[in-house]
Amino acid sequence: MRGGRAARAAGLLAALAVAAGAARAHEGDDAAARPAAESAAASGVRFEPPPPGSYELPPFGKVGGHSLLGSDGRPAPLLEPGRDGAALVSFIYLSCPDACPMATAVLQRVDQAVAGDPRLAGRVALVTVSFDPLRDTPEKMAAFRARAAPHGRWRFLTAQDPAAIAPVLADFGQDRLAAPGDGEDGALVGHTLKVFLLDGEGRIRNVYSAGFLDARVLVNDLLTVLGG
Amino acid sequence: MHALARTGLAMTLLLVGLPAAADEPCQSPYIQKLVGQEDFVYVWTLGTPGLGDGSDKLVTIGANPSRADYGKVVSSASVGGRHEAHHAGFTDDRRQLWAGGLDSSMIFVFDLASDPARPKLVKTIDDFVEKSGGAVGPHTFYPIPGRMLIAALSNATDQGGKTALVEYANDGSWIRTIWMPAGAEYGYDLRVNPHLNRMLTSSFTGRANYMRPLGELMGDAEAMKKFGNTMVVWDYHARKPLQTLAVPGAPLEIRWATNPRSEHAFTTAALTGKLWGIFRKGDGSFEAVELGPIGDPASPPLPVDISLSSDDRFLFVDSFVDGKVRVYDVSAPRTPKLVLEKQIGRQLNMVSQSWDGKRVYFTSSLLANWDKSGADDEQFLRAFSWDGAALSPTFSLDFRAEKLGRPHIMHFGQQSFFAGRAGARLADAR
Repeated sequence: MRGGRAARAAGLLAALAVAAGAARAHEGDDAAARPAAESAAASGVRFEPPPPGSYELPPFGKVGGHSLLGSDGRPAPLLEPGRDGAALVSFIYLSCPDACPMATAVLQRVDQAVAGDPRLAGRVALVTVSFDPLRDTPEKMAAFRARAAPHGRWRFLTAQDPAAIAPVLADFGQDRLAAPGDGEDGALVGHTLKVFLLDGEGRIRNVYSAGFLDARVLVNDLLTVLGG
Repeated sequence: MHALARTGLAMTLLLVGLPAAADEPCQSPYIQKLVGQEDFVYVWTLGTPGLGDGSDKLVTIGANPSRADYGKVVSSASVGGRHEAHHAGFTDDRRQLWAGGLDSSMIFVFDLASDPARPKLVKTIDDFVEKSGGAVGPHTFYPIPGRMLIAALSNATDQGGKTALVEYANDGSWIRTIWMPAGAEYGYDLRVNPHLNRMLTSSFTGRANYMRPLGELMGDAEAMKKFGNTMVVWDYHARKPLQTLAVPGAPLEIRWATNPRSEHAFTTAALTGKLWGIFRKGDGSFEAVELGPIGDPASPPLPVDISLSSDDRFLFVDSFVDGKVRVYDVSAPRTPKLVLEKQIGRQLNMVSQSWDGKRVYFTSSLLANWDKSGADDEQFLRAFSWDGAALSPTFSLDFRAEKLGRPHIMHFGQQSFFAGRAGARLADAR
């Protein structure tokens, strides 16, 4: 079973890389199926994360209630305050050649870890949001979700149009640069790719740069926020 | 002052530089990099009484030879009043520049994204001391994802060197204050190595010293003892101090090597005029190693700013007293080799180089009360090209003739940076 998951994870990444015409290998891109420590080492990370609860993650900023589009095409909340004890929110676009697939690969490892940890299972939501709604339709997000084959609660959201995603990006402080040909095939979308850790009250507890995402750190931070 | 600066005594006492650095290879690894030709150099400039409006200001200089504004003042955004303008830092998305005043402890936030040629003051944080619980003198502005980590220099209780790291959200709200550990209370710079989850901090002196007229300070033997002699190794993620390193003589700017496999950093000790390396040992702890004197050990020239090229090969070291830059080949980081020594001006402080290392910029001012006097008080931005062996002048701007003030830290901007040239940027550091 695990091997099957791993194969699908690797397949997803390969598909993403091919579809996007990735010109350069980003360290860690092919690491979805590896144990976290090994993949961390492969990406140049050489440290043991501090243990959960041994540090503080003071809240800063609060994200409002936003309604987007689910991968089933229906309105879907960004967060579900009653259910989500904590959430990891990642903004991506499906044509992204490097950083977004890497972030998704790390979230796959987190998804596996959460499912296998009774302190986290059922208490954590992963939320992947496209900020490229013109290209990333609910159908495409559904296909992306199917390839990711989540173990736990992992929502794949998009928006009706760019105007609908703009207030969400502003709320998170997630930049998005409209490139020439924005929304057309092959166009790149400039952004400082970040992943946000929210607690059950929608407060931001940490922000991660996609270039240095480490599944072990994300899991320990989830445990720290949840008091596990 | 002029005469004193030529004496060994003055050399020693002047070694209390308060430089800053913010060149492109040395930016936070969490920031959007500008890897192409810069169009602008943003210069955080101290106001000078009787010069222009006399206020601190962010000055934008044209830096692209293909533009009509090359080598000229493009715009100037005054903040009103003199605050001891010193360091500044971009937010992680580079859309804003936070600039600090070491005297007033005020922080000025400029919007760069709306019009990179004309930065606009959009927010003033005037309660840094109150919010931080008594930290004074916001110095290094170091962007981390969604936040700004600020290394302060002093405290409100005694204006001495005991100080803190203060964390803000990008929206300008305070998050937390982390006081420096016992035995290493002084602060100055901070730099993160994300691959090792380690942060290094360095140490300078408190407001009571850095705001005093230099001649007065030099005559106060007790005050001259109140400078930092330590660096601290931190668990960055936990924001917890792990180890204190002895680096005598006010270690100032810190530069980690950029290569993700590397495990070392450099600093210079201002008071002693020494170059130091910080190396990770086999057991994961760090050691500080003295790598040698900068200039003549008998009259240290007050090294105040450093810049490491993005390929980790060349370390530029500016020294205030002799106005020289020294370039070291640090390919073998434990045995740096001096490859160039060049006079830039009569006084010298900041150095910034482009990501590709082909363009290098220098400014002149250290602190309002410490800059030299008379003809030695040159105030300039001087630009050079660098070919790996020689620095060749390209343009120079006289900040006094332009009625601007005393130029300090430099950052780079690009007209089209926020207009969608995503492919021209390096989203993440290596």
